[in-house]
Amino acid sequence: MTALTVIPDGGPQASEQFEALYRSCSEDLFGYVASIVRDRAAAEDITAIAFERAYRRRALFDIHRGSPRSWLFAIARNAALDELRRRRRTGALLGDVADERAAEELEELDGDLAERRLLVREGLAALDPRDREVILLKFVGRLSNAELARVLRCSESNAGTRLHRAIERLREVCGVTR
Amino acid sequence: MSRDELNARALAELDALERILAREPVAEEHLELAALVDSVRGCAMKMRPEFSAELAARFEGRGRRLGAGARSSLHTSRRWLGGGRLAFAGGGAVAAAVALTILLSGGVRDALFGGGSTHGTVHTLSPSSGAAKNASRVLRSGAPSTVPHSTPSLGTPEIHQGAGVNGVGATATAPAPSAAATPGSSFAANPPRLIARGSSLTLASPPSQMQAVANQIVAATEQQGGVVEHSNVDVSGPGSYASFSLAVPSGHLGRLIATLSSLASVRALNQTTQDITSSYQGENALLARRLKALASLRTQLATAASATAAADLRKQIGAVEHRITIERATIARLRGEASNATLSVQVVPGAAAKKHAVAVSPLTRAYHDALHALQEILAIALVVLAILLPFALCGLALWWAAAGVRQRARERAMRAAH
Repeated sequence: MTALTVIPDGGPQASEQFEALYRSCSEDLFGYVASIVRDRAAAEDITAIAFERAYRRRALFDIHRGSPRSWLFAIARNAALDELRRRRRTGALLGDVADERAAEELEELDGDLAERRLLVREGLAALDPRDREVILLKFVGRLSNAELARVLRCSESNAGTRLHRAIERLREVCGVTR
Repeated sequence: MSRDELNARALAELDALERILAREPVAEEHLELAALVDSVRGCAMKMRPEFSAELAARFEGRGRRLGAGARSSLHTSRRWLGGGRLAFAGGGAVAAAVALTILLSGGVRDALFGGGSTHGTVHTLSPSSGAAKNASRVLRSGAPSTVPHSTPSLGTPEIHQGAGVNGVGATATAPAPSAAATPGSSFAANPPRLIARGSSLTLASPPSQMQAVANQIVAATEQQGGVVEHSNVDVSGPGSYASFSLAVPSGHLGRLIATLSSLASVRALNQTTQDITSSYQGENALLARRLKALASLRTQLATAASATAAADLRKQIGAVEHRITIERATIARLRGEASNATLSVQVVPGAAAKKHAVAVSPLTRAYHDALHALQEILAIALVVLAILLPFALCGLALWWAAAGVRQRARERAMRAAH
């Protein structure tokens, strides 16, 4: 799942490693950040900020503390939550911002699929933020349980437990039966 | 609940989830989970193509610059905080501290330049100080600074210019040659000084070597132009003993002490100096007055009116001449005290002299000085650590608390946002 193991501080492999990290993570990272801030413009800014910070702090990266992917997602998570804090302080409007592009995508889908996605979207919105974050990190960010634990700052077994419970709750709110 | 406590079904589902995310086939019972994953991923926003291209150009281009070694100013400032450069800076700081400490301690400086700054300052040494063991080295190397090269011969008073010190036991400082030789300088302002020197040296020698040491003391004294005024050598087994009263030209006193110190272990060394300039000048002034009075009396005698008066004058002249003889003897004694130093040497039974104390090489001295400098560095480092450690711990605790507070604020922001 994570192709990169090391981000060297310099040398000819550095560009390849950093570009590979960017290519493998950018789309997932944007989706994860956008799910947190629910604002496309803010998500774009935060995604760019996350890569910028990762680039600046690449000398501080420690491979023993996690993979580059989990490191990058942790940076993005902090940036997204800081953005939420800023909005909270300034009293900015919170909540879903109309996304025309998402609406267009839904219109292009089949009826059943579109209905299911709407159901899941509403189920995600109804979830506890912590459960929703676990699901987004796993499903959208495609992090392993170890990487999940690194981002959430908990043990790997705790991350697996939280993930399973979050999936069960999502099923409940979506009315999905197995 | 730990991972071990998860039931088998949950574990199977988590494993299936990994396969779904890796786009691998799963069992039919997990197709519902795959559909859920697909729906959640489908709900996530996708990047606009314009933004994706902009981001790609921004970071892929930067990655290439990184690979080529280009660095932004921010990158450079961050790099200065890198571990390698921190280690380099730390090493440099430690090296600078070492150099500064060595300079301050003066240990290596003494080894390189012969320790000139300490010469002439040791006047009383005792065995407990440990310095007595190195007295020979100190005095030998210090002889040029305490004994002028153009030392006067026996009987000629040693005249020190300017820097004489009053009192017994004070530091005897040799005058600068240029000051004494420059006419019209401070020589005219300050009268010549007469310094009387006396020393006592206690040596320890094995009884079996007592006679040889005594003979070497006599020989060394004669070699330095001195004389043995009194000696008492008793070689009678374990209680052997020897004592000498030596007189040596003041200029050779340091050399003689250095030579004698190399013959046996130095138990004690006591050096005294006394400024007798005022006594000498007082005697000279008194002599001048008496000579003047003598001339006056002789003039009166030549014009004496009566035999009685002449007899009385002759009696007075005799008394003055006697006083003048005494004054001249006193002046001669003072000049003798200034020109000749006295040295009392006691040789007592004791252990053999440690050869390394008198024959230590500059390399060994430098080694010991370097060790001493390292000890001082370690002590300084411990003090600095003791000062900085509380601040570092407080800073670490504050940083940890701030990070915890910030993280909790982020979690609160996430919960409040939905």
